[in-house]
Amino acid sequence: MATLSELARLGFVDLEGTVGKLDSLVSKVGDSGRSAFASLAKSASPDQALNALLDLAEVDAKYLKKLLGKEASSDRLVMTLGASSALIDFLRRRPTALKVFEKELVLPNRAELDMLFASAVGAFETAEKAWVAIRVCYREQLASLVAYDLTASNGEEALPIVAAHLADLAGAAIEAGLSVARAELISSKEHGNFEPGEVAATRLAVIAMGKCGARELNYISDVDVIFVAEPSAELETARALEIATRLATRMMRAMDANAPEPALWQVDPNLRPEGKSGALVRTLDSHVSYYERWAENWEFQALLKARHLAGDPELGESYVEKMQPFVWASSGRDSFVESAQKMRERVMEHIPTSEVDRQIKLGPGGLRDIEFTVQLLQLVHGRTDESVRVRDTLTAIDTLAQAGYMSRQDASVFAKQYRFLRLLEHRIQLSQLRRTHLMPTGDSALRQLARSINLKWSAEQLLAHWEKVKLEVRSLHQKVFYRPLLSAVAKLADGGVELTSAQAEDRLAAIGFADPKSALTHINALTSGLSRRAAIQKQLLPVLIQWFAQGTDPDQALLAFRRLSEDLGESHWYLRMLRDSSGAAERMTQVLSNSRLATSLFEKLPEAAAWFEAPTDLIPTSREDLETEIQAIIDRHESQETAAASIKTIRRRETLRLAIGAVLGDLSLGQISQGLSDVTAAFLRGLLSLIGETRIDLGIIAMGRFGGEELGFGSDADVMFVYQPIDTDVDSAQKIAEAVISDLKRLAIDPLLEFELDLDLRPEGKNGPVARSLDSYAAYYKRWANTWESQALLRAQPIAGSPELLTRFLDLINQYRYPEALDNSAVIEIRRIKARMETERLPQGADPKRHVKLGRGSLSDVEWLVQLLQLKHGSKHHAIRTPKTLDALSACVAEGLIAEHDARVLREAWLLASRVRSASVLWANKRSDVLTTDRRQLDGMARILEYPRGSASALEQDYLAFTRRSRMVFDRIFYEA
Amino acid sequence: MSDRQRDFVLRTIEERGVKFVRLWFTDVAGTLKSVAIAPAEVEGAFAEGIGFDGSAIEGLARTYEADMLAQPDPSTFQILPWRGEIDPTARMFCDIRTPDNQPAAADPRNVLRRALAKASDMGFSFYIHPEIEFYLLKSAQVGPEGPIPVDRAGYFDNVPGGTAHDFRRRAVSMLEQLGISVEFSHHEGGPGQNEIDLRYADALTMADNIMTFRTVIKEVAIEQGVYATFMPKPFTEHPGSGMHTHMSLFEGDNNVFFDPSSQYHLSKIGKQFIAGVLKHAPEITAVTNQYVNSYKRLWGGGEAPSFVCWGHNNRSALIRVPLYKPNKANSSRIEYRAIDSAANPYLAYALILSAGLKGIEEGYELPAETEDNVWNLTDSERRAMGIQPLPQSLDHAIRKLEESELAAEVLGEEVFSYVLANKRREWSEYRAQVTPFELQQNLETL
Repeated sequence: MATLSELARLGFVDLEGTVGKLDSLVSKVGDSGRSAFASLAKSASPDQALNALLDLAEVDAKYLKKLLGKEASSDRLVMTLGASSALIDFLRRRPTALKVFEKELVLPNRAELDMLFASAVGAFETAEKAWVAIRVCYREQLASLVAYDLTASNGEEALPIVAAHLADLAGAAIEAGLSVARAELISSKEHGNFEPGEVAATRLAVIAMGKCGARELNYISDVDVIFVAEPSAELETARALEIATRLATRMMRAMDANAPEPALWQVDPNLRPEGKSGALVRTLDSHVSYYERWAENWEFQALLKARHLAGDPELGESYVEKMQPFVWASSGRDSFVESAQKMRERVMEHIPTSEVDRQIKLGPGGLRDIEFTVQLLQLVHGRTDESVRVRDTLTAIDTLAQAGYMSRQDASVFAKQYRFLRLLEHRIQLSQLRRTHLMPTGDSALRQLARSINLKWSAEQLLAHWEKVKLEVRSLHQKVFYRPLLSAVAKLADGGVELTSAQAEDRLAAIGFADPKSALTHINALTSGLSRRAAIQKQLLPVLIQWFAQGTDPDQALLAFRRLSEDLGESHWYLRMLRDSSGAAERMTQVLSNSRLATSLFEKLPEAAAWFEAPTDLIPTSREDLETEIQAIIDRHESQETAAASIKTIRRRETLRLAIGAVLGDLSLGQISQGLSDVTAAFLRGLLSLIGETRIDLGIIAMGRFGGEELGFGSDADVMFVYQPIDTDVDSAQKIAEAVISDLKRLAIDPLLEFELDLDLRPEGKNGPVARSLDSYAAYYKRWANTWESQALLRAQPIAGSPELLTRFLDLINQYRYPEALDNSAVIEIRRIKARMETERLPQGADPKRHVKLGRGSLSDVEWLVQLLQLKHGSKHHAIRTPKTLDALSACVAEGLIAEHDARVLREAWLLASRVRSASVLWANKRSDVLTTDRRQLDGMARILEYPRGSASALEQDYLAFTRRSRMVFDRIFYEA
Repeated sequence: MSDRQRDFVLRTIEERGVKFVRLWFTDVAGTLKSVAIAPAEVEGAFAEGIGFDGSAIEGLARTYEADMLAQPDPSTFQILPWRGEIDPTARMFCDIRTPDNQPAAADPRNVLRRALAKASDMGFSFYIHPEIEFYLLKSAQVGPEGPIPVDRAGYFDNVPGGTAHDFRRRAVSMLEQLGISVEFSHHEGGPGQNEIDLRYADALTMADNIMTFRTVIKEVAIEQGVYATFMPKPFTEHPGSGMHTHMSLFEGDNNVFFDPSSQYHLSKIGKQFIAGVLKHAPEITAVTNQYVNSYKRLWGGGEAPSFVCWGHNNRSALIRVPLYKPNKANSSRIEYRAIDSAANPYLAYALILSAGLKGIEEGYELPAETEDNVWNLTDSERRAMGIQPLPQSLDHAIRKLEESELAAEVLGEEVFSYVLANKRREWSEYRAQVTPFELQQNLETL
């Protein structure tokens, strides 16, 4: 006998014990025990197999001796025992089943299997006995098939044969179950009062769906079925359906009810029309009309696999025939890829996180990824090409390659990986005969699994190989579905498939391009020619197209990408970035397909593409850096016009940077508005310094949202101007100031990114002079200051001018904006103005609930409330003296002027309203103060606000709820407190 | 929707020679709306809905979204019995959808569906049976003494040869023809006042049934030359018309309000449900009792449930837990007594159900039972016992509703703000009236 180290090499774990066990086996079955040794060494778990042999020797030593005596039958038995503890249990329970290992299995066809089951059942006394007979027969055939599978020279090659045979076995068992059910109904009244003639006249067909339908069944899996019935002869339809329902129910009991031999598997009829709540059995017409009217997309995809399995063959075949057209029309339906993808995402979401890494079927790089890609291609191209209309995955891969929708090479890789993953799944299920798709944990289980696939593999080698396959599978979807889109317009060097334009357009339309013809033109433009750019884009476009398709507007994004690419031409860094940095490219597509504002700025500043590569480039530039840069421009340029042009470029560039940060969700609302305010301030200071007027000291005071550093995309810049003469008389100073302001306005004009300087908050509004001297302000406020002007001054923040001037200006306005005491008439005045504004300033016909600026509970409600508190308490509570709304609100909480829970409601509403306003400009590149009712635009905005896809209604409900609550707080405090 | 039901409808239309099909739906105010279509259009209506201008319907659509679709629910198909055999007419209730085929936020039926879906997610189905009271009047004309009832009888009186008796017999038979089972019917306390109790059903079916019921009662009245009204309180001196509603929750086949081991056989879930309804009752009253006139009933004395409390055999409590009948575990239920016969049943039941579910979700504690007739207590006594009043006027109820997060969530923001606006308008119009009361009291003395 062997040494211990030899035993270890052969795969035993319990070495010491094995020596004794082998001796004991020899003592029971004689020399054939020794020859079993070679078989044990080939088995997945020699220890498990040896223990089982010892057990079985107790039961029938003589027969065991015979089986072990010949190498072939010994291999069949021992390898089965080593791979499946569930079958060991079965053999212990039914030792006569050992006979199946005696001869090599010649795979029986379905008709032969049916005869085998029929004779096993024979004439029976009780239904239960018949069920036992069916189940024992099934398991014997299964054991025989397992032996065939394990002794096959190449497991991956044997896989489709085994899977098809498993489906046939299930079919034969169901067929036998149906016969038993018929006999039951005729012979007994227990299940209803049916005449034999009626039962005979009931035609029932069982249709297999899913893996059983495609003849690619697992060792253990639910068998998905659909029932269809028709009456023959004189029988009424309703009666036939009643009988057929009874037959179907009894048949399912034969498979899964409790009986002395355990149940086989669940028969699952829930793919039927209306699912669990629908009728179990329907007539053919009823099925047809369901699919004509009510069925959902996924239900059509399920029909792809439908096959007649058991019962009336003619009826079954005509069912399949009638259903085929539905399957192939389904990809013409709206948003079919999107809904298929959503289904898949939902499945992924339901995998517990602890299992994701162990999932062979549903996890990333799992079987479902392959099946999904293959079915998608079948559904897209099967509409026009009948040759790809096949059921099982491996044949589908093959026909897709033959028909030229997938390259030969991709197809063979795909098929190989599919076989491997399926083999893995089979071996795992085989061990316990349990329905599982999880990689086992535990050393011995993994080791056994590794050996069952390749005797030379360790557990680590198995896991390493699996990881490699998963990685490849994940990239293949992209390669197989998206890459060939290019082949319709460009020659690909890799010898892959070549799609026709029509075929490529089918695919583009299926993934959500509204205008696939134009999309194809863009793809053509991006990939034609021999330039390096074209070569790199050929590589990259497949994945870019996939990303575009996931955005809200793929057509626009592709076009924008084309323009960008044409502008940047052969820039070295751009090509390198596209080629080397997939993270950068993905983020770029995300911006292009979700924001028209960013896209339009991009077209004017294509170099900005470089930012995607370095995340630090997307951090907003500080005000100091901006000013240094602008000053350098002023120092460098001779002409005012060219310098102003450069300064405007900086403004556009920084706005784009902030827009990108906003779309990607990298920046908070606070960072965005701070950034926009900094850019605007630096811009104005730069232009002022460019004009270089020295005869007066001119100050710019930011007002409104600009003063509060709360600018959004597309906001106007509210300002006032104040001056002090330096080197001139008072009258000329006014003229000089007006001239400077008019220069400033002229230089600021930018048709590419509009800039609006709004002076309406100045004293006397539109009727007042555009600038005033400090003295003039002092005189004006002293005589005329209105409450609303004091209120507007709360947000005044100087951004340009000499420190001395600005300090004096602030000293002046502080008396008015933080008055010693706010008299009651002033409070009433503010309330009245606000109340009037609510009705008068709202545009005609606008819904106040949806107006983000003046509407119920939105921006102006929150701001006016805060400002009222500031006017009332600013003189005593210095902490609340800030032009920033949210800072002031928090300070009011800290000073005990408003309750935190009220402040929270206001803060949430103000933030959401501000974000909605920004998102609407980002998405549509149009400023709008009304929350749109357009579903698509709402969806696009919701995505920018980081809601999941399809959240139009959720955003709308949130907005309405937040502002409603805020309005309640506002009403209570502003009007009554 | 199932195609079996649809096929049944199409077949019945053929077999019975139906000439018109009315599509029914309910606006936010609770008024039944009807669009008649020809039988040939029915199939298309199932598949794609029938387009109509929603902006013309109260609260249904925002003006800029005028195009709406009415999609009939085939399970509600019935031939209308009062149309006779000449030109048979059928009706179906509809769900309202937006042009992009989403359920319309402002469709009351959809509001109730959403609330029921939430219950279903928690594993519950909601069953109700209402006791609907109404008055039979000689006509819609108001006499010098107010409306004129058809008789002068009282509670359970059998009026020989009386109109009311014939009326109820005819109405019950018509309801049965429409597939609505009647549990009980009798003469109520006020002159000409009648009550008909519908047999329990799931809440959506019942809300549909109540809408049908109102139509049937009005039709029978016309047929018999009298006038029927569901106005909550048509007479100052007689009781108002309530719609006491018995409610229970089922989990599968089991009534989850039932627990053999506890007092009144009321389970923990049942107690939490009651606690939820009690806690939120004031804020949903503007919907369960939606008219100015509703508050005349709520505060009209007698047995009106003016105070938020519960009791076992207490006929003045807001929620009554009826006597448990031995061996009838599944008939365990509670009775909500505030709601009146003029409520929009879809919105009212959605809110009551959600209030109860909230009690279950948050594990509210049930306050102590009130055994006294709460009307006989003094204000101080009630305060001492922690018994709150329901809102005393529509205005008061609106203020409670305004602050209700529960109502905003259940109704949806659109319906919620519509209801508020609508009720505020009603209140301000009412307030502008100079009433006979004032004239009587003041004209001669001032």
